[in-house]
Amino acid sequence: MQNPYVPAPVEVIKIVTEVDTKDIKTFRFAFLNEEDEAAFQYLPGQFGELSIFGKGESPIGIASSPTQKGYIEFTVQRAGVVTSALHDMEVGAVMGVRGPLGNSWPIDYLAGKDIVIVGGGFAFTTLRSLINYMIHPDNRSRFGKITVIYGARNPGLLIYKDELEAWGKRDDINLNVTVDKGDATWKGREGFVPTVCKEVAPSSENAVTVICGPPIMIRFTLPVFFELGFSKENIITSLEMRMKCGIGKCGRCNVGEKYVCKDGPVFSLAELDKLTKEY
Amino acid sequence: MEKRLIKKESLAGVIAELAGKMRVCAPMQAEDQVLFRVLEPSERPLVDFANTKNAPKNFLFPRTETLLKYTRTPKGMVAAGGAEEGMKTLFFGCRPCDARSFKLLDMLFDQEKYQDPYYIDKRAKTTVVAMACVHPPYTTCFCTSVGGNPTDSEGADVLLTDLGDQYLAEFITPKGEELLAAFGGTPAGVEAEKAKEGIAAQASSEIASTVPAREAKPVLDVRFEDPFWSTLHQKCLACGTCTYLCPTCHCFDISDEVKRNDGIRIRNWDSCMFPLFTKETSGHNPRPSQKERWRQRVMHKFRYYVDNFNAIACVGCGRCVMACPVNMDIRKIVADIVKL
Ligand SMILES: Cc1cc2nc3c(=O)[nH]c(=O)nc-3n(C[C@H](O)[C@H](O)[C@H](O)COP(=O)(O)OP(=O)(O)OC[C@H]3O[C@@H](n4cnc5c(N)ncnc54)[C@H](O)[C@@H]3O)c2cc1C
Ligand code: SF4
Ligand code: FES
Repeated sequence: MQNPYVPAPVEVIKIVTEVDTKDIKTFRFAFLNEEDEAAFQYLPGQFGELSIFGKGESPIGIASSPTQKGYIEFTVQRAGVVTSALHDMEVGAVMGVRGPLGNSWPIDYLAGKDIVIVGGGFAFTTLRSLINYMIHPDNRSRFGKITVIYGARNPGLLIYKDELEAWGKRDDINLNVTVDKGDATWKGREGFVPTVCKEVAPSSENAVTVICGPPIMIRFTLPVFFELGFSKENIITSLEMRMKCGIGKCGRCNVGEKYVCKDGPVFSLAELDKLTKEY
Repeated sequence: MEKRLIKKESLAGVIAELAGKMRVCAPMQAEDQVLFRVLEPSERPLVDFANTKNAPKNFLFPRTETLLKYTRTPKGMVAAGGAEEGMKTLFFGCRPCDARSFKLLDMLFDQEKYQDPYYIDKRAKTTVVAMACVHPPYTTCFCTSVGGNPTDSEGADVLLTDLGDQYLAEFITPKGEELLAAFGGTPAGVEAEKAKEGIAAQASSEIASTVPAREAKPVLDVRFEDPFWSTLHQKCLACGTCTYLCPTCHCFDISDEVKRNDGIRIRNWDSCMFPLFTKETSGHNPRPSQKERWRQRVMHKFRYYVDNFNAIACVGCGRCVMACPVNMDIRKIVADIVKL
């Protein structure tokens, strides 16, 4: 029997400090065992339990795309015990990953449609995975227009800056990066995510919005998309609840009868409407 | 199914002998209470008792259980072996409500998608010898309201029924039949079966509490928001006793413990009654007060478990009713919900 509590050993092979405040880093891991790497078949939107023996585990969305071979990446904010221990690690350290866990962004449902990606702050991680997945040459033709609206409080807090620049140069992504407030060197857009969504005004015709960010951003952005004619089936988001087991056993992360770890974290607004409002 | 008659005076001895050959868990007197615990070799269990204060789940899903071991290396902590394998075990003297709880726990721990190897290993190696409640022991018993029965064998491999002068032993499963030689006895005839039928009817009729547990589900489906929840929880102390004694509560926490260069990852029982259960690092807590926690407890047992497994996650043992320091009574709560 596969033991779902046993993490696969991985080595930290790259660490990127993403933001000026230095509390968000992207960790790249390589599996130590080939079998573990082969078994870790994931899709964008899934998460893993990052496991540090002696400290504990944290559920973190997978930030890399399955089209990127040979490693997996996670972008982590320093918060409590486990994430702080992770931030103190150096390249070469060995730790563990359990997963992939949870459902994923509904790739098959997204296929054949225009995709609007809306992200705020560092909750952009699994959206980045989705973007890199969709623009991969093997997949790009499966999706229609791709519009990305991504915002952070200030330029120093934008993550994946190199990729943002590379995406900006492509003509098959409509990329809109915004900051609440710019600084002396910022030449880009200023304004809150909901406002930018209104300005960009993506068509709801055969389109799906995938949205992830702080609750307040989501609260003000949703009305914009309703106005644009997006149905609740076509607005998709990812939930966060405190987790431990990640496999629907420890009883901690349920919203109604669904376990966010096992049945989620991805839900459409239409699905969330059917659940209890307790998250 | 093989049925035998066992002499009353020989039963404790049979179990005591088995205790030398495998792990045997059974009801034992512990000062002023009866606890389910592991017998020493040749120790004789209680055969006359009401029910154990603790639920037997502790021996399938221990209060504290090692999941993994690890050790320090220059590159960091690395795995150093898993948990110990479970031992061949006999549960003697489970009441039918508690035997049924194993079926309910199986639904969760032995699901198709994620199987819990620790529970499944112990469960596979455990044989359950249940003892029917000829006279249901407490006024708080309500097994018949939640799908059980005081003389039912669900979840048991062997069911013993006290016929007065001897026990009727029904060897229900192949696992149970492995104990035939150890139990000995003489073949039971129609007379014994007749006697059991009479006892069964009498026992069911002695259950004093009825709870409209099945009727609660459709009400709970539409009453997540209801003023009822705001008053219900007020005297609850959040001590967690109800969930720890519950045979079907299965929530746990996972934590790490390190001594010098070696460490273990363990799981401990946790409780939805505790404020920190769902609190996130950011400080956000989707269940900020005891109101939401009590609602979760009721919803989980009488609505969500039914949604997910088509079964109520309560066996009607009444432990939570008896042990709650402030007399919260799930029977009354369910009855009130149905009236909403
Ligand atoms: C599906 C999902 C995806 C996530 N993705 C990311 C991500 O990409 N990047 C990121 O930085 N953070 C992410 N989080 C939040 C992250 O899990 C918590 O910040 C982290 O667990 C805090 O752990 P800690 O040990 O540092 O904090 P402590 O306060 O020491 O937490 C103790 C333990 O509680 C649990 N816990 C506490 N808060 C949370 C929480 N908000 N969500 C889940 N479990 C929690 C964890 O098991 C944690 O180890 C995600 C959470 C979920 C549920
Ligand atoms: S035993 Fe009683 S007081 Fe303690 S948590 Fe349960 S309901 Fe609350
Ligand atoms: S994290 Fe344990 S049930 Fe979801």
